[in-house]
Parts: sequence; C-alpha cells; structure tokens
Amino acid sequence: MSTFHGLEMARQALFAQQSALYTTGHNISNANTDGYSRQRVNFETTSPFPAASRNRPHIPGQMGTGVQIDTVQRLRDRFLDMQYRAENSKAGYWDTKNKALGRLETVLNEPSKSGLSHTMDQFWESLQTLSVNPDNTGARSVVSGRGEAVADTLNYLSKTIQAQRAEQESQIDVTVKKANSLLHQINEINGKINAIEPHGYVANDLYDDRDRLIDELSEIVNIHVTHESSGEAPASADGVVTIKLADSKGTPFDPERVLVNGQAGEYNNISVHKTNEGVSSIEVDGETIEASQFIDTLGSLSALIETYGYEKENSEDFVGVLPDMLEQLDNLAAELAYRFNEVHKDGFALDGSAGIDFFVPNEEGATITAENIRVHQQIIDHPDLIAASETMDFDGDGKNAINLGHVFDRPFADWDKESSAFEENQSIDAFYESIIGNLGVDAQEAKRMYDNTEILRSQVSNQRLSVSAVSLDEEMSNMIQFQHAYNAAARSMTTIDEMLDKIINGMGIVGR
Amino acid sequence: MMRVTQGMLTGNMLRNLMTSQQKMGTYLEQLTTGKKINRPSDDPVIAMKGMGYRTQVAEVEQYKRNIGEIHNWMDNSDAALDQTTQALQRIRELTIKASNSPNDKDELESIQKEVVQLEEHLMELGNTNVNGKHIFNGANTKERPIKGTEDGYEVSTDNSDVIIEVGNGTRIKVNVNPEDVFTNQLFDDIAELKAILSGEADRSELDGRIEALDHHINDTINARSDLGARMNRIELVEDRLDEQIVIAKKTMSENEDIDFEEAITNLITQESLHRAALSAGSRIIQPSLVDFLR
Repeated sequence: MSTFHGLEMARQALFAQQSALYTTGHNISNANTDGYSRQRVNFETTSPFPAASRNRPHIPGQMGTGVQIDTVQRLRDRFLDMQYRAENSKAGYWDTKNKALGRLETVLNEPSKSGLSHTMDQFWESLQTLSVNPDNTGARSVVSGRGEAVADTLNYLSKTIQAQRAEQESQIDVTVKKANSLLHQINEINGKINAIEPHGYVANDLYDDRDRLIDELSEIVNIHVTHESSGEAPASADGVVTIKLADSKGTPFDPERVLVNGQAGEYNNISVHKTNEGVSSIEVDGETIEASQFIDTLGSLSALIETYGYEKENSEDFVGVLPDMLEQLDNLAAELAYRFNEVHKDGFALDGSAGIDFFVPNEEGATITAENIRVHQQIIDHPDLIAASETMDFDGDGKNAINLGHVFDRPFADWDKESSAFEENQSIDAFYESIIGNLGVDAQEAKRMYDNTEILRSQVSNQRLSVSAVSLDEEMSNMIQFQHAYNAAARSMTTIDEMLDKIINGMGIVGR
Repeated sequence: MMRVTQGMLTGNMLRNLMTSQQKMGTYLEQLTTGKKINRPSDDPVIAMKGMGYRTQVAEVEQYKRNIGEIHNWMDNSDAALDQTTQALQRIRELTIKASNSPNDKDELESIQKEVVQLEEHLMELGNTNVNGKHIFNGANTKERPIKGTEDGYEVSTDNSDVIIEVGNGTRIKVNVNPEDVFTNQLFDDIAELKAILSGEADRSELDGRIEALDHHINDTINARSDLGARMNRIELVEDRLDEQIVIAKKTMSENEDIDFEEAITNLITQESLHRAALSAGSRIIQPSLVDFLR
C-alpha cells in the first residue's frame, strides 16, 4: 500500500463529488428546457486492494480504494415514451379534426339568423305573402329578392367551404414539409450519436434532442420506433433509432415504410400524391399506402387528409369531410331547384304566360350545384314572371304561390324524381336539418375525443415528467449532499496531509 | 413513490386553470347570447330541434299575418253584402209602395228615379274595390265584375275561389261568389221593374217583381250567412294561431334558451372555483427548498 494512497483516494473523491455537483448544476440550469431529462452521476467503488494475485501482500482484508464515476445516466423510461407517442398521435388527429369541423360549423352558422335555414324560412314567408297579394308587385320583388338570398347563401357556403379545402391542402403541404424536416434532423442526430458512442460516451443531451424531435413527429404521423446499438457502445447508450410508419395499432405496415434507417444512416421523405379531388396515396421510399388505409392511422396528417378528401377504397370516388359537405349542399341545391322549378312551371305569371325555371345554373345547360345556383335573370328583372297563379287569367289567384311554399316541407315521396341523396320521406327542410345534425354529431365527437386524448396525453406526460423532469428540491438536497461529501473529502485530504507532515517533518528528531 | 416536480405542478395548474377559464367562457357566452348552445356540436339534438322550431314559429307568424288579409277580404265583403241587402229591401219597399198607389204618376216617377239610383248603388257594391282588388269577381280581381252596357248591366260570371292558407294544408276560401248575389238575373229583374214603373210594361207584373226581389234578398242573406260561418271559422283559427304562437315560441325557448338563474349560479360557482385555483396555484408555485436554504 503506497504512502500516498490516501491522497489519491481523497483526490478521486473530490473529483467525483465535483462532477456530481456540476451535473446537479446542469440539471438546475435545464430545469425548464423542453424535452430535457435529468441526469445522474452513478458512483462506483474503485477496485479494492489487494487484487487476487500470486504475490499479493498478505493483509487482514481487502481494503477499499475510493470512488470513481461509473456513468452519467439520463433518467428516462422508454416505455413511457412509447405510450406518450401513441397518445400524441391520437391527440394530433382529433385536434386537427376538431378544428376543421369547428370551422365548418362556423361557416354554416346554424342555428342563427344568418344561416341557410333562416334564409329559407324568409323565402317561404315571402311566398305566403305573395299568395295573399298575388297582384302586388312589391310582394313579387320580395319573392325574387329572397330567392336570390337563398341562392346567394348556397353560393357563399359552397365557396367558403372550397376555400377552407384549399387551405387544408396547403396545410397538408406544410405538415409534410415539417415531418420531412424532422426526419432529416433525427437522421442527423443519429449520425452524431453513431460517431460518438463507439468512443465510450453516452450522449445524453443528443438523446434528449432526438426524443423531442420524435415526439413532434409522432403528432403528425403514427410511428413505430426501435433502438439499435451503434456498435462498440457502452451498455447504457441508447444507440441509433429506426422509425417506421405504423398503423392504428402501432405496428409497422407490411411491407415496411421506413422513415429513418438508423443502421444505414438514411432517411426517406414522406410524399403525398394528391389532385384537386383529393389524396390518392402516401409514398415513402417507393412504397405507397392507399389514402383510405392511411387515414385510419391517426396523427394530424391523416386528419388533414380526411378533411381535405381522399380516394375511397376500391373505387374512383373521393370522399372526406369537406367534399362530403359540398356534395350534400349540391344535392340540396339541385333538389331545391328541381322541385321549385317543377311547381313554378305548373303555374302562370301575372301576364298569363306559363311559369319559367325559377332557379337556374349560372351557365346554361350545367347541372345545378350549390356553387352555381341562382335566380333566373328574367325573374329578377321582371318579378311579374313569378308564377303565383294556378290559372292563366286571374291576377287574384295566388294558389301556386302556396304550392311553391310547400316545396320546402313536402316529403320526397311526393315527387317522381329519383334522388339517392334524399330519403323516402325527407323534405328539403328535413334534409338540411339532417346535414346540420350530422355535422353537429361529428363535431361533438371530435371535440369529446380531443378532450379525452388530451387528458390521456397529459397523464402519460405527467408520468414521464415524474421520471425525467428536474425537481429543484431534489437538486438542492443533492447539492447539499455532494457539497458535504466534497468538504469531507477535502478534510480527509487535509488529515492525510497532516499525517504525512508528521512523518516527514516530525519524525526522527527526538532529543533535538 | 411518484416524483412530483415543479414543472409538473406548473403544467397541471396551467392546464386546470385553462379548463376552468374555458368553462367560465362557456357560461359567459351563454349569458350574453341567452342561448344554451351556439353551434350544433354543443348539442346536436337541441340544434336540430331548434331549426325545426324556428321554422314553426316563422310559419305560425306568417299564417297570423295571412289572417289579417282574410279579415280584410271578409269584413269588406260582409259590409258590401249588408248594404246590398238594405238596397234590395229598399227597392222591395218601393215596389210595394208603387203597387199600393197605382195611379199617381208623379209618385211612380219619383219611385222610378230612386230605383235607378239604387240600381247604380248595387252596381257599385258589386264592383267594390279593396286595395286595388275587386272582391266580387273571383280570382279575377283586376277586372270590374259589373259593366254598364247599352241594355243595362252585364255581370261576369267568375266564380273561382280566392284561397288563403292559414295553416299547413288548411286553405280557406275568402271571397263570396258573385253569382250568389250580383247576377244578371238581378239586374234584369230591376230593369223590368223600372220598365213597369215608367209605364212601359203592364203594372200587373208588380207582384211578380216583389217575389223576384224576395228571392234575391234571400240569396244575399244566404251568401252573407255562408260568409258569416266562414268568418266564425276564421276566428277559431285565429284563436288557435294565437295559442300556437305562444306554444311554438315557448317550445323554442325551452329548447335553446338558458335558464338565467342556473347560468348565473354556474358562472358564480365557476368564478369562485377559479379564484380558489388561482390562489392555490400561487401557493404551490412559490416555495422551493431554495427559499429555506441559507
């Protein structure tokens, strides 16, 4: 045993406690850093003396030789990460869907005094007033004006929803761009980790960065993450990650769509194939996923695609929240125009001429949709052409105006036209009510699911924080602990110093 | 033991405060709009029902307005028929007078003059115009039903109904058929009476004239009682509509309007909860071990 062994032991202790103090300082500094996991210095004893060997000195027992740092470990539970990311995908999906449906509700603005429902009610009122005063030019102008209001409202709804759809499209582009940028960054960090781990380091802060980026990615798409060793790395190293697109259950698609390949150090961009009609497929590394399959996977991207429109499975049709709403409104406009025109043509105008089409498309020959429906220009110019009478000659006959009013509440079965959109006993009013009702139910569900997933996400997040977040109280008590240990080590060094002083300067001077 | 860190406490507190704030927002919105819901997703059932109820209220109010127009038609018709009856009674009296004083030429002449005036009055009554509409010409309201010709008066025979709706599917005829009152026969009969009075025809016909006049008076009274029956019905319908307006508005209000007491209580409760959360938050966040170390 060396004379100076005690000094070396104290030095090592000082060094170890100092490192622990610095790490505590690092923790305190990063108490508010996003994605930071607290770090801990794991101490271990140095090899005791003597070691097993043939010519070991014979002393009563093995003697401890002091402390050394084993690892600087970051405290994190990979299982909680997995849970968090799964919840994050769900929350991302419902958040985006909730926002889109909320906006759609604002556009349709029911129930209110400015929605389509109220406009149709006012149109009906004007028709009733006309039926009472069929020869009154004022009443006629009101009918044509309120008819225009109905057409305008339909035009407005259609155009606003189309604009929302265009916005949704650019949001898809932005989101995909963000996802690809995240993939690029994750891949970069993978590369750095791959370079540093074989030297025996554990790159705690790089892991934190990477985990934060993966968290962000999981909000956009549902992913499956695996960790692989980077080679000659220490046991506590995280290694490189490989990320694959996952389905709603969290298992990777078959064949695999690899987003980041940790072993090869590569990443693959996500690209979305879309037309004006909607999204047909998502491509990663040459492998495509049908859009209809992708929208089940959760994540904000799938919600965006579902809202924007996507190709139905095994069909050429495009469906989606906004395209469906547009189609419903088109059906409503077409059906309203058809029924109203049929009744209108049965009647007679003030001058005895037969009724003409009341609602027309803005281009002749086109099918009437919510976007192009409008009141016939001739009727706007000459409200006398409104066919309020059932008979040809009489000005005071307003019976056809009554019939026109009933266009809104007569059930579908009364008409010969075959329309797949309307149910047997559905009137125009009831059809629109059901559109709003369905939207309300969908939006309510999205809101509820968003609230639920948000709570779940915050719960998992709390669990994760419980493991990884910095507690200042804890750090303060650690600091005191390490400080005392440091002080004690210094004292131990002083003691040994005094001991040596005794030996060197105080010995062999007896009788001097 | 679960570790609890400052970050978790702060995060949780912020989240809870936000939820609480959100609830306050909802109650405030309810109070300022007076409605339980402001978008369909708040409660799809209330929203859907609400749209239906609004339509119903609009309908009933419109039917109520239609009733006003019906009164206009019927009251004017009734007044005209009342005057018609009086005019016919007067003609009948004059005819009786003429038959009772056979030889006084002057008197016959003055009677004849009055009859001419009364005939013109009847014509005017038949041509009664309300708000630009001739009410005794069926749906052909623009044309005068009775026109003067060289031979006397000619009455058109438009008997089409003028219909006004007072309920979904309830259509009521509001006019009086001109053929029931102002007929060609009426004016022919008066023309004959005038001929007798002016001595152009035999006076022995006078008794027949009285009979004819009785017949017309009866027709008029019948038409009037028919109208009266319909007016009674309209009054019943009006009463019902008045009730319906109240019921429809009440249903609509019960469906979507807030109970103010409840909403205010909710808001105040939420407010005190929010205060409590805030003060608790200020306590939780402040102290850490740092505060107690030298």
